[in-house]
Amino acid sequence: MEVARLDVPAGEQALFAGSSGCGKSTLLHLIAGIETPESGSILIGGTDICALSGGARDTFRGRHVGMVFQTFQLLHGFTALENVMLSLMLGAPTLDRPRIRAEAALERLGMLELHAPVERLSVGQQQRVAVARAVVTEPSVVLADEPTASLDPANAATAVELIRGAAQAAGAALIVTSHDPSLRSAFTRIVDVAQFGLPAPAPRVGAAR
Amino acid sequence: MSNSMSDMTIVLRSLRTRALATGVATGLVAIAVALLLVLLSLREAASQAFRRGTGNIHLLVSADASPLVAVLNGLFYANAPANPISWVKFKEIEDGFPWQWCIPTQLGDSYFGSPVMATSPDFFTDFEPVAGSPFQFSDGRAFEASFEVVVGAAVAADRSLKVGQKIVLAHGSGRGSGAGAEGGHEHADHPYEVVGILQPTGSAHDRALFTDLVSTWIIHAEEKREHPAGASATEQPAAPKGPSQASTSDAGQESAHEHDHAHDHAHVAEADLRDEEKLITGILLRIPTRPGSDSSASIAAQFDRLRRDVSITVAQPAQQIGRLMALIGDIDWLFVAMAVVVLLSSAASIMLAMISSMELRRRQVAILRVLGASAWRVFALAITESTLIGLIGAGIGAALAILGGWVATTLLAERVGVVVTGAVDPRAAILVAAGAVVLASIAGIVPAVKAYRTPITRHLRPLA
Repeated sequence: MEVARLDVPAGEQALFAGSSGCGKSTLLHLIAGIETPESGSILIGGTDICALSGGARDTFRGRHVGMVFQTFQLLHGFTALENVMLSLMLGAPTLDRPRIRAEAALERLGMLELHAPVERLSVGQQQRVAVARAVVTEPSVVLADEPTASLDPANAATAVELIRGAAQAAGAALIVTSHDPSLRSAFTRIVDVAQFGLPAPAPRVGAAR
Repeated sequence: MSNSMSDMTIVLRSLRTRALATGVATGLVAIAVALLLVLLSLREAASQAFRRGTGNIHLLVSADASPLVAVLNGLFYANAPANPISWVKFKEIEDGFPWQWCIPTQLGDSYFGSPVMATSPDFFTDFEPVAGSPFQFSDGRAFEASFEVVVGAAVAADRSLKVGQKIVLAHGSGRGSGAGAEGGHEHADHPYEVVGILQPTGSAHDRALFTDLVSTWIIHAEEKREHPAGASATEQPAAPKGPSQASTSDAGQESAHEHDHAHDHAHVAEADLRDEEKLITGILLRIPTRPGSDSSASIAAQFDRLRRDVSITVAQPAQQIGRLMALIGDIDWLFVAMAVVVLLSSAASIMLAMISSMELRRRQVAILRVLGASAWRVFALAITESTLIGLIGAGIGAALAILGGWVATTLLAERVGVVVTGAVDPRAAILVAAGAVVLASIAGIVPAVKAYRTPITRHLRPLA
């Protein structure tokens, strides 16, 4: 994969479209700093995350990047509220009153069962917790990796609205990846990831180590 | 939940989510720690039991074959000494040096297998079974006249003896069911009255009975004069006229004094005793020391002087027990080594428990990393988890050992009258617990490194 230049301005909401395996997730992980590019730079709010050390990149990600995953990736054994509070504790320990922030983030998304263990929540509720966790730290950018892939069309539309609304409320740029063409109508900025692919399918793409 | 989350919350939740693995690993550490502590304390109790029994004695004289045998027989009642010392020899030794005290002892009789020591009343006032703590009576007093007996705590508890009871002693140390069991021979026409019960001392003396020398001499003199062949009853258990016939149906208490033998008894009074009938088997000696000191240069000098007399054996009990413990010490380290192996295997099980749950943990680690935790922080969380298992396991194990030791010593003291001290040495407990915690942390290193090196992306993809 080779990206010459790709900008997502602050507050913009972009859809990274493309079929499965074209490198959407890899691109998203590069932006999140959980994979590193072979060369080049990735700037978030003026900071080149490729120049940061491993630990500094983790801290930067916690503070400035919120992520939503297709399978939510909530921490089992913790309640909905605790999952959101963990994000504050690890990513934004300087923000005051973490409990109140976490409760507010969940309630804004219509999630009222704060003290239920996440593994007992419905898919819709888990989605809300995952989104709340991503935006509670007031990040610069929210990255959502195939957030609708495991949902039916009606729920998919709701989920995208949820994420878009939350990102906007947090004042964050939003990048959503999806192979689902039906999402295209919701976004004005659409990036076709297939264009970054090298002519021959490269197995080395995105290998972090 | 509190108002804030901390790394410790993550650790505790993580342990709770994997409750089974956590429980098994914690239990293994607890068992290993308890086992190690119990083994160490048994070792300590055994050596203490030996060290205690020698009390404040400096020198022990007997006619046994070796000094170690002399100590085991004379102070720990292993066997009745086979060879006697004459009263003349005792007088000679007593007058040969200004001893602090010089106590004659005579072993050979028994009561239901418990040894009976004939001695002088000084034994209760001067000899201390445990240096610094003299004998104390839980009931009654020391013997003052002939045919009075003082009973050790364990014997009193074992045979439910009380002050005022009459008991019959047996010649020889038969270990059978009755006082006059095979190999023994009852002194049925001379019952003894229990006049005192001793408090437990935690030494072998708890298992013995004590009478005065004169009674013992009288009984043996009468028997010798009745059976002029000179053979002891031990060698003639089937003697037709043996007094044991009179009371074989009775275990030896109470009624035994109602003897009515048809034959004439050669009753002997104290004044009639001939010198050669006054035999003893041991002499306990203490050399005068300065207050606050237990040693004196004279101990070695007197030891050397007495040793020149080839008719007797002289022992320094403390030294002999030291040699004995050195012999046993090599063996019991094996037990300690075994317990250490148990501890090591429990460390391995912590490691296995944590590695086996690694797949689950890898997802957790990846999520924590995405949320902003550094690899080092995740490493620290994993180490803390295993250390916590070690800490809790060690705590439970130490509590088990201390509680178990307390229950065991209490039961032993109440039911058997044996005082075992030094149940669990707190220093050993701390050391073992610390060792367990360190081992647990070390066991946590491998899973922690795995967590540290977990690539985030691979574990966030949906399961294909």
